[in-house]
Amino acid sequence: MSILDRKLRRELTSSLGLLLAIVSIMAVGVACYISMASNYRNLQEAKTRYYAQCRMADFSIELKKAPLADLEDVGELPGVAEIRPRIQFFATVDLDGFARPLNGQVLSLPDRREPVIDDVVLRRGSYFTDRRENEVIVNDAFAAHHRLQPGQWIHLVLNNRRQEMLIVGTAISSEFAYLLGPGAIVPDPEHFGVFYIKNSFAEDAFDFDGAANQVLGRLAPGMGNRTGETLDRAERILAPYGVFSTTPARDQASNRFLSQEIDGLRAFAVVMPAIFLGVAAAVINVLLSRLAEQQRTVVGTLKALGYTNAQVFFHFLKFGLVLGVIGAALGSAMGYGFGGMLTSQYRQFYEFPELNNHFYTDLHLTGLAISLACAALGSLRGARAVLRLKPAEAMRPKPPRIGHSVVLERIGWLWTRLSTGWRMVLRGTLRNRMRTAAGAFAAAMGAAVLTNGFMMAQGTNYLIDFQFEWVQRSDVDLTFKDERGREALWEAQALPGVDLAEPVLNVAGDFRHGPYKKKGGITGLVQDARLTVPRDLEAKPIPIRAVGLTMSRKLAEILHVEQGDVVEFQPTKGLRDWLALPVVEISESYLGTSVYANIEYMSRLLKEEMILSGVQLATDNDPEHRAALYRELKTFPSLEAVNSRADMVANLRETLIQSMYVFILIFILFAGIVFFGSILNASLISLAERRREIATLRVLGYGPWEVGSLLLRESMITTVVGALAGMPLGYGLSWLTAVAYESELFRFPVVATSATWIATGALAVAFGLSAHLFVQWAVHRLDWLEALQAKE
Amino acid sequence: MSSTPTAPTAVLLRFERVGKTFTMGEVAVEALRDVSMEIHRGEILAVLGPSGSGKSTILNIAGGLDTATTGEIWFREHRLSDFSPAELTCYRRDTVGFVFQFYNLVANLTARENVMVSTEISRHPMDPVEALRQVELEERMDHFPAQMSGGEQQRVAIARALAKNPALLLCDEPTGALDFATGKRVLRLLVDLKNRLGTTVIIITHNAALAQAADRIIRLRSGQIVETHVNEAPTPPEEIVW
Ligand SMILES: Nc1ncnc2c1ncn2[C@@H]1O[C@H](COP(=O)(O)OP(=O)(O)O)[C@@H](O)[C@H]1O
Ligand SMILES: [Mg+2]
Repeated sequence: MSILDRKLRRELTSSLGLLLAIVSIMAVGVACYISMASNYRNLQEAKTRYYAQCRMADFSIELKKAPLADLEDVGELPGVAEIRPRIQFFATVDLDGFARPLNGQVLSLPDRREPVIDDVVLRRGSYFTDRRENEVIVNDAFAAHHRLQPGQWIHLVLNNRRQEMLIVGTAISSEFAYLLGPGAIVPDPEHFGVFYIKNSFAEDAFDFDGAANQVLGRLAPGMGNRTGETLDRAERILAPYGVFSTTPARDQASNRFLSQEIDGLRAFAVVMPAIFLGVAAAVINVLLSRLAEQQRTVVGTLKALGYTNAQVFFHFLKFGLVLGVIGAALGSAMGYGFGGMLTSQYRQFYEFPELNNHFYTDLHLTGLAISLACAALGSLRGARAVLRLKPAEAMRPKPPRIGHSVVLERIGWLWTRLSTGWRMVLRGTLRNRMRTAAGAFAAAMGAAVLTNGFMMAQGTNYLIDFQFEWVQRSDVDLTFKDERGREALWEAQALPGVDLAEPVLNVAGDFRHGPYKKKGGITGLVQDARLTVPRDLEAKPIPIRAVGLTMSRKLAEILHVEQGDVVEFQPTKGLRDWLALPVVEISESYLGTSVYANIEYMSRLLKEEMILSGVQLATDNDPEHRAALYRELKTFPSLEAVNSRADMVANLRETLIQSMYVFILIFILFAGIVFFGSILNASLISLAERRREIATLRVLGYGPWEVGSLLLRESMITTVVGALAGMPLGYGLSWLTAVAYESELFRFPVVATSATWIATGALAVAFGLSAHLFVQWAVHRLDWLEALQAKE
Repeated sequence: MSSTPTAPTAVLLRFERVGKTFTMGEVAVEALRDVSMEIHRGEILAVLGPSGSGKSTILNIAGGLDTATTGEIWFREHRLSDFSPAELTCYRRDTVGFVFQFYNLVANLTARENVMVSTEISRHPMDPVEALRQVELEERMDHFPAQMSGGEQQRVAIARALAKNPALLLCDEPTGALDFATGKRVLRLLVDLKNRLGTTVIIITHNAALAQAADRIIRLRSGQIVETHVNEAPTPPEEIVW
């Protein structure tokens, strides 16, 4: 080991606390990168494998009913490699021992196993056998939740008939990697299941002999960018059969959520490490500049002894690089650990045949390279300062800096009111510009991370409140398989415990506005509906007008519609005339692209008597009434789905909020490391630089707390200024996140309340104070008498 | 605090068999051995001795910067050797003024502000500008230390020390970093202060010539007092020759 290296080693070990602060910031940066980039790969590769394994569809077309022969025409379209007709229905599931009727999606599969589009991966039991018709394969999560085993019988209500089905196996499928029921945003495996039945049985049960109501298709290689065109053609072919929706893989719910998560990981794998490593570079910069200044005479002596510029330069650079290596090593270990935690978090939401955290050597090497680069960047200024020194000049102590006044002093009335303590603090802060800037930068980044975390939580809460407390207010929603007449409302009103029943009419169809088109639907509500209340941006109720549509902002954007415009709408069912409908209100919505209208207006347009496709119920809170209600619903005619808002909200809060808390805790921890590390670094350096000054103050009769308060004030100014600057940055970050995640399915509200700012500010101050505890301890320990006598 | 009035009123500070041993790991250095002495109110006491003889140690103990290992120190009726660190802080704050060889001014504060650092926390302070007038620096009060010469900086340090109206002014080689002429000027200032304000002053120096300006001279060698000399006719600083 060379003498210089030995010097380096001693310097490193002598300021261990300081280095720990810096190294932990770097480690967090590298850990963020490793864990997020690893998970990006874990998910990306798991997805690719899974999609290939299941032969994931590139598109699907949902229609009312079409003969198989005509569906085959879609397979002949240019660019389409292969199609599969499928029968799919929503059904209710009656589980013994579970009070509430549950919802399910029933899908047909070939009677005999063959590799088909959107195939299943069996987890337990087997595929269908030849022994009986009524066999069912249940999706694994639902089965696990209800402890269903192959060999057990369950009841599905198919086409109004209660069918007894034998479970032969459990399975998962790539189209349900993120298993969503209709209208849901998080999986709810307790209340929603997927049930695969034999194609032959489905044809019988739904009266679909030689017909299907869905086409799944795969495109020829290289046709991915022309999906839209292909779907348009297919839709034209199938138009006579009433096309409800055409869904490219891009818009398939599960794929959409999964892909967005993967994209989000990729973005965060850049942004978060950039923040932390940026702060680390700034902090190293401060430390090394100080070291270079402190070691002027040493540098001069080394140069006088004949060490070359390059040797001295690399010696200083090495100081930073050592930090980089240690930071990267710690970060690699932490990142691998965090990566595992993140992966298991994903396993709660996403279902894959296997999703494991892997050790990606190249990512760890990249992490090391980034860490070294940022350490080198941080060291550069200090190391360069050393270069410029001439030996003779370097051996003399640094000439005292010319004192001069700072900007603030021009505000005379203010300055004269300040105590000398404040003047010392302010001059020190304003003159050590680089250090103050580095501290403020770190605080800004820490505050941005905190604000972003809090805003994500508040956004999630707001979204749940807005959609499921304010817009949707019913306790139980019934969806009918086919439209029913007014009598269904009376039946529902008569159910046990029902205080209020309101009819709902959902009409699927196409919207058109000039060149803009969109598939969707209109929800008919009664005038003064109390159980579904569309709201504006400020969450104020928008009354349903007698005439015209209340359109969600997202759909209005897609169609380029403004309030007062007229859109065209072609219902998928009925007469299928194009109707010209005025958009009278624009409502806010964070989920889907709903459009509301008066139900009588809708019925009139469809030239029908009052019809309804569902009923919303407000019930009392009596659990016995609720049990009785569920009991009767199990035999309620023509029921396709039963939803309980309380169950849904409970599930949302449980899954979303809980994982949010984990994230917020991690954010707080990371931000804490940034605040703590940078403040400790700046204060300890300031303390070291001013040992003599502090000793003088102690001689004059200042106590250790008074001396500490000077350092505290200095760090608090930087912290508060930085945090204030960081809060809007955090807001911007949340806004960017929301924009990045915005889709037709889902939009994230950007919500910041005074609580956001107060919590961020309070935490920033709390971190500052706790870092100061260490500084105060160092002040108490400072051997000021020695500092006083040392001849600098 | 003890209140036994053992000291006669003329005695401001009394050392009784004070010893001080520094231990650094294995090595123990006996900096002071059995030092007994009295400092009278309103006198200038010079402490002479070669480097390492314990002069600074005496001053630090007298000023409450450090504590003795053995023996007792009395300030008026208070036993200084029993003071807690917090009490010592108060003692320094209210009673003692310090002047050092290397001035120890706060670089980020102007001359006036350096004086204010001391007046802001003391109980009966002088007006900072008045203190600077005493050292004839009122025109330079808005200058920063880096803009002043060594002698000027030392005068600011003296102004800072005397601005709190200390009962005791302790100067550790106040002229050590100054040229001879400037040193004499600083000495003149200390003598004037004593005459005008009746401040008790202890000056440490290794320059025997400068000590002629004191009322009493104590000579130290290897941590022990080897000679106490009462100077019946102190030489005015201007007349001191090398
Ligand atoms: N903090 C300390 N630790 C160890 N030894 C010390 C310390 N302060 C002073 N000494 C020793 O005590 C002796 C007297 O020192 P000091 O009072 O500073 O001498 P003077 O001021 O007369 O030059 C010297 O030998 C010195 O090395
Ligand atoms: Mg000395």
